[in-house]
Amino acid sequence: MGVDLSVEVLGLKFKNPLVLASGPAGFGFELQQYLDISKVGAITLKTVTLNPREGNAPPRLVDTHGGIINSIGLQNPGIEEFVNIIAPKLKEIRTIKIGSIAGFTIEEWKILGEKMDKIKDIKAIELDLSCPNVEGKKIWAKDEELTQEAIKAARESTDKPIIAKLAPDVTDIVKVAKKAVNAGADALSLGNTIEAMRINIETGLPVLKLKTGGLSGPSIKPITLARVFRVAEALEIPIIGIGGVMNWQDALEYAMAGASLVGIGTAIMVNPQAPLEILQGIESFLRQKGVEKFEDIIGIAHRGGF
Amino acid sequence: MIEAELIEKRTAKDYGLFKFKLKEKLKDPDAGQFVMLKSPDEPILAKPFSIYSYKNRKLTLFIKRVGRLTGKIFSSPIGEVFYVRGPYGIPYIKKIDRDKKYILIGGGSGVAPLNFFSELYPELVYKKLYGFKGRYIRELFEEQSSLVIEEESGKTVVDVLREVYSEGLGVLACGPIPMLKTLPPGSYVSLESVMGCGIGTCKSCAVKTKEGIKMVCKDGPLFRKEEIQWEWI
Repeated sequence: MGVDLSVEVLGLKFKNPLVLASGPAGFGFELQQYLDISKVGAITLKTVTLNPREGNAPPRLVDTHGGIINSIGLQNPGIEEFVNIIAPKLKEIRTIKIGSIAGFTIEEWKILGEKMDKIKDIKAIELDLSCPNVEGKKIWAKDEELTQEAIKAARESTDKPIIAKLAPDVTDIVKVAKKAVNAGADALSLGNTIEAMRINIETGLPVLKLKTGGLSGPSIKPITLARVFRVAEALEIPIIGIGGVMNWQDALEYAMAGASLVGIGTAIMVNPQAPLEILQGIESFLRQKGVEKFEDIIGIAHRGGF
Repeated sequence: MIEAELIEKRTAKDYGLFKFKLKEKLKDPDAGQFVMLKSPDEPILAKPFSIYSYKNRKLTLFIKRVGRLTGKIFSSPIGEVFYVRGPYGIPYIKKIDRDKKYILIGGGSGVAPLNFFSELYPELVYKKLYGFKGRYIRELFEEQSSLVIEEESGKTVVDVLREVYSEGLGVLACGPIPMLKTLPPGSYVSLESVMGCGIGTCKSCAVKTKEGIKMVCKDGPLFRKEEIQWEWI
C-alpha cells in the first residue's frame, strides 16, 4: 500500500511536504527543464522587490566545509515585470506557487503584498524578512519589532496566507516567532542562510565582493533544526523547515522536529534531481516504519517519538 | 547525476589531464559546453569544467589545481568515482560567425574548451595559441607547436597574437580576465565564473553586459568582447 505523503496546511493541499525554497529554483522556468516540478509539493518563487535589482557584483558564491556562502543580493526583475511578464507564465509550473516578496520600507511591503494578492496563480505569500545579502539594508527578522511592523503591513494588503521567513541567527527565535504570529503570519519559514564569510589568505581580502554572505548547506542543518524544534514546542503554527536538507534523512528530521513542510535550496543547486530522490527515500522509510501518512510524523519528537 | 570513474590521469605540477568513463552518455556535447562535476562527499557543491574532449562516454577534462575539489581530483587514484551532469552552456558554434577562420587563444586551463573546438571544427581553425608560464606544461601536450611558453620566449599569447593577427580573422579566446581584456575588438571571449547550479537558476555566475545582467552558465560562456562591462567583473 502506498504511503500518503500529502500535507494539508494553510488551507492548501500539498501533494507532498517538499517545497523548493526561494532562491536557487528561480521562478522555476529553467529548473523545469531538469526537474519535473509537478512532482514536488510547492515552489517558493525567487524573491521580488519593488524595483528591479541587478544583484551584487561577482564573486557571489564561495564554498566552505559543509556548505556554501552566497551573496546573490536579490537579483530580480522587480514587481512590475513580475506581474506583467512572469506571472502570466506561471501556469507552466505545475505545482503550488508561493510568491516571495521583500520590502525595504513598510510602504513597500504593502505595495508588494497588494500586487501579489492579485495574481491568481500565487496561493500564498512568503515575506523574505531575512535575506542577509543586501548592502546597507536592515534585516527585518533580526529585530522583533521590525518583524512585527513588516508583517502587519503585508497582512493588511492580502487575504492570501502569509508565511514569514525568519532569520535563524537571532538571540531568541521563539520571541521573534511569537511576534510574527501575533502580527498575522499564517506560517513561518525557519529559516534563512546564516551570515558568514571567507577570506582569501593570498590577497588578504574577503572572497565575496559583498564581503559577507549567507551560509547554507549541511553545516547549518543542526542549527536551524533546533530553531524549528523550539518554535514548534512553543507555538501552534505551521512551519516550513529550511536549512541544509540534502537527503531524505534530513527532511525527516525537520518533519519530526515539527515542520509540516520541508524546503530544499542548496541541494537543488548541487543536483536538480535531488527532490525526487528525497521523496523516494521518505516514502520507503515511512513504509518500512509502517507509517501510513506523512502527517503522522510531523512533530513526533515532541510526542515521545515512535 | 552520472557516475564518472577516473580511468586515466597525467599531471604536470598544477595542471593535469583527467579522463573519466561515464556510466551514461552525455547528450550531444559540443565545444564550449561544460559539465558540473561533484565529489561524492566534500566539497558539497558541483563545479563547472569545460569539456576538453569527449568520445564514447569518455570525458577528458584539463584542470588546474586551485581549490578543494580540484585538489581532490589531483590526489585521486585511478578508479575513483565522481559525479557529473551536463553538458550545459551554449556551444561556441551557435554564437560565432561560421564564415570566418579563428585564432584560438587559450590561457592556462582556458585551453580546455578550445581543444574540443579544434577537434570538432578543424576547418574553422586558423591557428592555435595556447599560453602557459612554465615549460613543464610541454609534458602534457602532443601538439607542441601550439604552445606559447613565457618562460621560453618571454612572450605571452597576446604578444604572439599581435604578430599573427590580420583583418578578417576571428579570435576565439578563453583564459584569465586580464588576457581577455587586451584582445582586439570583435573577439569572442569565453568566460569563467564561480557557479552554483550551472543551469541558470541560482544567479551566482552573473556578468554585466550592455543588455543587462546575464548568466555565464545559461547565456554564455561565450560573449562578444564588446558586450561585457569589464569593470564589473
